[in-house]
Amino acid sequence: MEENRDKGPEIVGFACSYCTFKASEMAGSLRMKYPEGIRVIQVPCSSRVDPAFVIKAILEGADGVFVAGCHPGDCHFIKGNFFTRRKIAALKEMFKAFSMDGRLKLFWVSAAEARRFVDKVTTMYKELKEERDAGKKN
Amino acid sequence: MRAGIFICHCGHNIKHTVDVRRVSEYFRKIPGVIVSTDYAFVCSEPGQDIIVESIKRYNLDRVVIASCTPSLHGDLFKDLLKKSGVNPFLLRRVSIREHCSWVGDDVELNTEKAKRLILAGLYSASHYIPLEEKMVEVEKSALVIGGGVSGLSAALFLARMGIKVYLVEKEAELGGHVRFLGNIWPSGRKGRDIVGEMIEELKGLTNVEIFTEAEVTGFEGFFGNYGVTIRQSDRERKVIAGGVVVASGFVPFDPAIKPELNYGKDQRIVTTFDLERGIEPPDLPDRPRVAILHCVGSRDEAIGKSYCSRVCCVNALKVAETIKGRYPDSYVESFYMDVRAHPRGGEEYFEAVQERGVLFTRGNVGEIVPSESGVILRGEDTLFGEVYEREFDLVILSIGMASSPGNRTLAQLLKITLDKDGFFLEAHIKLRPYDTAVKGIFIAGSCSGPKDTEESINHGRASALKLFGMLNLGYAFVDPFISWVDPKRCSGCRQCEEACIAKAIKFDEAKRVVKVEEAACMGCGLCNATCPSSAITLKGYMDSFIGDEISGLLEVV
Amino acid sequence: MQGKRIDREKLEGALKGFLKEPGQLIFGFGRKGGLVTHRMYRDDLHGFSMFNPYFSINGATLFRRVFSKDVKVLLMLRPCEIRSIVELIKLNQIEPEGITTLSIDCPGTVSLGAERDGLPDDPFEAKDYMVEHRDGMRWACTVCRERRGVVGDLGIRMAGDKSLWAFPYTEKGKAFLATIEVPEEEFKGGFLLGEDKKDAEPFATDMGTFSSELSRCILCKNCRDMCPICYCIDCLFNGDEYLPKGDALLNKIIRKGTDDLPEGRELFHMVRLYHVSQTCVGCGACEEACPQKIPLTKYFKGISERLQGMFSYMSGRDVKEIIPYLTFKEDELKDAED
Repeated sequence: MEENRDKGPEIVGFACSYCTFKASEMAGSLRMKYPEGIRVIQVPCSSRVDPAFVIKAILEGADGVFVAGCHPGDCHFIKGNFFTRRKIAALKEMFKAFSMDGRLKLFWVSAAEARRFVDKVTTMYKELKEERDAGKKN
Repeated sequence: MRAGIFICHCGHNIKHTVDVRRVSEYFRKIPGVIVSTDYAFVCSEPGQDIIVESIKRYNLDRVVIASCTPSLHGDLFKDLLKKSGVNPFLLRRVSIREHCSWVGDDVELNTEKAKRLILAGLYSASHYIPLEEKMVEVEKSALVIGGGVSGLSAALFLARMGIKVYLVEKEAELGGHVRFLGNIWPSGRKGRDIVGEMIEELKGLTNVEIFTEAEVTGFEGFFGNYGVTIRQSDRERKVIAGGVVVASGFVPFDPAIKPELNYGKDQRIVTTFDLERGIEPPDLPDRPRVAILHCVGSRDEAIGKSYCSRVCCVNALKVAETIKGRYPDSYVESFYMDVRAHPRGGEEYFEAVQERGVLFTRGNVGEIVPSESGVILRGEDTLFGEVYEREFDLVILSIGMASSPGNRTLAQLLKITLDKDGFFLEAHIKLRPYDTAVKGIFIAGSCSGPKDTEESINHGRASALKLFGMLNLGYAFVDPFISWVDPKRCSGCRQCEEACIAKAIKFDEAKRVVKVEEAACMGCGLCNATCPSSAITLKGYMDSFIGDEISGLLEVV
Repeated sequence: MQGKRIDREKLEGALKGFLKEPGQLIFGFGRKGGLVTHRMYRDDLHGFSMFNPYFSINGATLFRRVFSKDVKVLLMLRPCEIRSIVELIKLNQIEPEGITTLSIDCPGTVSLGAERDGLPDDPFEAKDYMVEHRDGMRWACTVCRERRGVVGDLGIRMAGDKSLWAFPYTEKGKAFLATIEVPEEEFKGGFLLGEDKKDAEPFATDMGTFSSELSRCILCKNCRDMCPICYCIDCLFNGDEYLPKGDALLNKIIRKGTDDLPEGRELFHMVRLYHVSQTCVGCGACEEACPQKIPLTKYFKGISERLQGMFSYMSGRDVKEIIPYLTFKEDELKDAED
């Protein structure tokens, strides 16, 4: 993993098929750019994201993980993302207790919001990069 | 595992930022990969042949196709596997175009990323298990929401093809906004005549049921068998529709939102739509001074409407020509940002209107102030950099199209998506402009963004044609991505049952384990993420699939 | 608050009375030589131990195996054990119908590793004993969140004037209390055990500390087996689902070169931390069970209290409270969205 460290943070994202994954497709179609360290896994609904996946990704070397779904109230599966919000909010609290603030993010991105998708993931990438660069100096 | 990896160049689309040759060579060294190759267009016939031949020759049991995003060409590749005798759920699609080559410019980094994405897909696919698609019968009926010109065209097309049509219109009369249009450019025909013919034909068909002053209040099920509740005054009807065309139209922009225009406060300030509807402007002198404002309610960030409404420039030209025709000595001045007379013949029409003596001033009007003698317009001429102030007898606002406020309710009911302006969003901006993300639900007309009459008719027919193709097959395959319980591992804690949104999980008191009611399961996977031991798993998205996909994404390549 | 002023004899009398009915059992503690164990009583209360400051396994772990709607069982246990029972009822692992739960004021218990001879059996003596033997206290008890007998159907509480009281919390509790022939009266005094103070600072650590403490872990998973809340009949970690395996693992080694095989210590403990985050009662069974003496309870109790706090949830407080991950409010947790 060491030789890879200089390439920038690695982010694994979980994106629901009906909203965020669609937005990421549209971002591609519109040739928007974002860092290559961001890689997306498609899940049917954000509620499919088992917190264990997030923990696994972090422990296997991801610098950050995001879970993204439809805006609350717009879930294709009616209420799935409300459950996602509870679970991921709790997991974020757990990460906070482990001083891993900022390594897990929860985004709502609708299928129409390609720009928002790119903005969210790029901001996360930059934050993690700054944090790591600051850590290196110390 | 005997996997074949097929990497698409997509012409230059992938190849120009991903070193596809290096990627395909890389995978030849990976255990379990029997064949790894790259080709210009994997979706083309020669490309398909390569896949079919490789499957047969190397006896492949996993196929990984790295190309465009999985929502494109899905059935095509699945059919290839079926044809070759491999279960179609042993196919893995990896998006290296929308998620790699198009979003990064650096060839080195993109090549690395493509390797990892494919590796993740390969690992994930190594756990795939064959699944059986369920074949369901498709009801040859369609729900058309909206009786405007695009809804009518869709309904008529489907009905002529023998599909049972339920047409739901919220108003008392069919025809939408088009029925008010007095003169449709360039044909000069009355809108009422155009929709009138359609309505007459529809009413004569026995396989069409029209519901006016009605709305859709309930919607459930899946493609082929949507259960629809239609409410008409206090009566409710439940019908089964195989598919849906949403053609709920638009609302004309209300200029009262911009108080500086003083619309609604003075008779001498009217909209193009007011005139079309036959609202008579006040009496004008023999040589009237008339101002026409373009882009009212369009391309206006201040009110959150940055889009161009596409129809209002031609409308503005049309009204200018009409006034010049009625009052040859009138003074007509148009205030515009750009004239976008995009339909065929539009530019020539613009020229012709200019030749009639209509003046065009570049620069939006800042405010409209009614006074006793006339209506004063103030603004800045952006070509000359001068501030203008002129008095007119009549001011006409060429208004744009806004999304219908009812779209939100409809979107939530049908589980389809709106864009930021409240119009329905297509599944793919270029390749699937009529589809929504939901199978069997199409959009037509100006509910998906401003369109003129001709475009709305075309859009309606195109959506109807796409839906007809699906309905006419008579059957459909339902994705087998539903939850499944391993009774040996289930602890019977019923957490999944408590959480399940579709109420598809039932507890078996005798065996003390849960079971899934397959017809009710929506396939979201919430139960899988809720079960601490993953005794209930979502087919197609099992823990091992996603777990190893994570590992692949993070591996050093 | 309405309750009954009781004493040891009266309570014992009521328990004996309960056992006289055929098919009725009592689950509690019993003495065997110098040891105290969990015991199921059928027709006598021989060796019954009421207030000893000791328990090894959380009684809920044992009781989980008793699954019957028909047999009536009275459980007289510590608050953390009753709270586990309540959570397990929510998780459908214990049938609530036949059971009556009785929680006792708990002054803390001695750790398995500490001296266990001469443990008192009187509640007030037990309290004094634990004050004197604080060094030998189970770590979980030193930071206990709920020592009061305020959970379950009935509570046995110690008053400040060294009198013993019983308070019913449910209809079942009232029914049992009716068998003690003492008039009900209003309790006006103070209790010996007050409400516990919450930690001002939420629990915080970092991955470095966590990993270094876990480096001793031998992955025996005894912590999981002894956890009353870890009820799964086939744990996710019985398999190797979450570790790279098969082709993926082989690939890794063939291309990366010689490497340690992944063991998944942090993964196991962190996933378990999340799994029990809403249901953990902080009883400390995990830490007592750990052959490597890893301070697990610090993490489990710390994380679970933080995460339960987000939803104003407390494990085992009330059987009617829904486990937070199984429900939601439409308008909540705005801060969680990035």
